[in-house]
Amino acid sequence: MTFAVEAEGLVKHFHAKGRGGGTVEAVRGVDLQVRAGEVFGFLGPNGAGKSTTVKMLTTLMTITSGTARVAGVDVAAEPDRARTHIGVALQEVGLDARQTGRELLVLQSLLFGSNRSTAQGRAQELLELVDLVASADRMIKGYSGGMKRRLDLASALVHEPDVLFLDEPTTGLDPASRLTVWEEVRRINARGTTIFLTTQYLEEADQLCDRLAIIDGGLIVREGTPAELKAELKARVGGHSTPTLDDVFLDATGRTRERGAGEVQEVSS
Amino acid sequence: MNATWLLARRAIRESIRTPEATLPTLAIPLFFLAVNVGQAARVFPTETTPFLHGQSYAAFQLPSSLLLAASFGSAAIYLVEDIERGYFDKLRATPIPRSAIVLGRLLAGMVTALLIAVLMVLVSLPFGIHVEGGVAGFVVLIALMAAWTLVFSGFMQLIALKSRSAAATQSGSIVFFPLLFLTPGFVPRELLTRPMEIAASCNPVTYVMEAMRSVILEGFVAAPLLRGFAVLAVLLAITFCLNIRLVRRYD
Ligand SMILES: Nc1ncnc2c1ncn2[C@@H]1O[C@H](COP(=O)(O)OP(=O)(O)OP(=O)(O)O)[C@@H](O)[C@H]1O
Ligand SMILES: [Mg+2]
Repeated sequence: MTFAVEAEGLVKHFHAKGRGGGTVEAVRGVDLQVRAGEVFGFLGPNGAGKSTTVKMLTTLMTITSGTARVAGVDVAAEPDRARTHIGVALQEVGLDARQTGRELLVLQSLLFGSNRSTAQGRAQELLELVDLVASADRMIKGYSGGMKRRLDLASALVHEPDVLFLDEPTTGLDPASRLTVWEEVRRINARGTTIFLTTQYLEEADQLCDRLAIIDGGLIVREGTPAELKAELKARVGGHSTPTLDDVFLDATGRTRERGAGEVQEVSS
Repeated sequence: MNATWLLARRAIRESIRTPEATLPTLAIPLFFLAVNVGQAARVFPTETTPFLHGQSYAAFQLPSSLLLAASFGSAAIYLVEDIERGYFDKLRATPIPRSAIVLGRLLAGMVTALLIAVLMVLVSLPFGIHVEGGVAGFVVLIALMAAWTLVFSGFMQLIALKSRSAAATQSGSIVFFPLLFLTPGFVPRELLTRPMEIAASCNPVTYVMEAMRSVILEGFVAAPLLRGFAVLAVLLAITFCLNIRLVRRYD
């Protein structure tokens, strides 16, 4: 079977600036296999290497060693061909304040090779999808944080990518907007797009993801479906109640709660 | 459609939407032209100053102002904004040639500079300046200015791509001080003091300025024009190659 995303031994070193700065090993050998059509969650604490991995997989950053294929295309060997299969919304939204939302989507579509009428049609479709029709012809400068996020998401979809990478798509959104983004992710996924999503919100991963991996210190420390990971923890640690994904996360990354996990659960039950 | 052209159009639209950034590039050089002429024109009357070739001192000063207008490096300021705002990565995620991202900006910068040059020359015509080279001379003058805009903005874009910081790029633009002032700006090179003459002779802008000046004052004289275009061709080749190299290696 060919995977939508396949990485072997992915490594990224940064050379810290200045003399004697040394090397930062942001990603230290990541293997990933994401199946076509699934929503794959990529979790990990701050600085674990999530964004770095996403940038390597989406051709935006060079790979120190290892290989990665997206939709069967080697991202380092054929970056332009890979880009036609990849949609990406990075952790920091990347917008141009001096265009309108519609102009930005049309331009992005043209750069992916559409002709002008297709680009305009696609822009309209996407504006409807992310509910920005009313503000489409206003300068992006005046958009709220949530509107910018949604436009950024839409701009990753202009070319109907096979694999959509979303780096923390709901960080900074209010609970209602977060639910809207979840809905959109589900809808996009239902049309056959594979989704690779990083998040800090474990509930989000639990709700959305078919399978997930937890990265810590540049290495994958857990991988499986949410149910599998919880069952594994329960089997290993025991206890009466079923562990939550939070427990799995804390166990995997060696971080602890202020009080023991069991104590917290007794209080809440 | 061609990606360079698409991005150039977007950049032109951007400068139209920020007149506050574009207007100074027209106003400041005109201001300097008026001030410099006001300061020195009586020292160099047309009748008794051979290097003016029968024109006013303003005609002699016009190239300095055109070069000043071409040395704002606005393209690089916009580019570094794209980088800081993350839009640069959005463009890098598309399957366009990396070179289009930097060349689109430069192309737009050149179009804006051409417009400014045309406006400046037209504004100065009523003040007793005429271009000895005629319409062809006018075109050559504008071409020299456009080429220098590309070189200067291209150089600034290198700083933008390397530093990725607006502050560093802004600081980089101070190179325009030595470039524009270590030149025969007020008198021809022969009349400069010896150290100044040496400095000016090492400065590529001197040759561009002399080429412009020769077209305005004397018409078509081969030597200064050839030198001016040769210097520009070499600098353009270098900045273009480095720009493309840096954007391809951007990580
Ligand atoms: N351009 C860079 N230069 C040097 N070090 C970097 C660079 N980018 C990331 N790093 C380092 O690499 C490590 C991983 O960073 P990364 O941004 O991938 O983490 P992350 O998992 O996305 O974290 P977060 O949840 O905070 O977004 C961090 O230690 C970070 O400091
Ligand atoms: Mg991150």
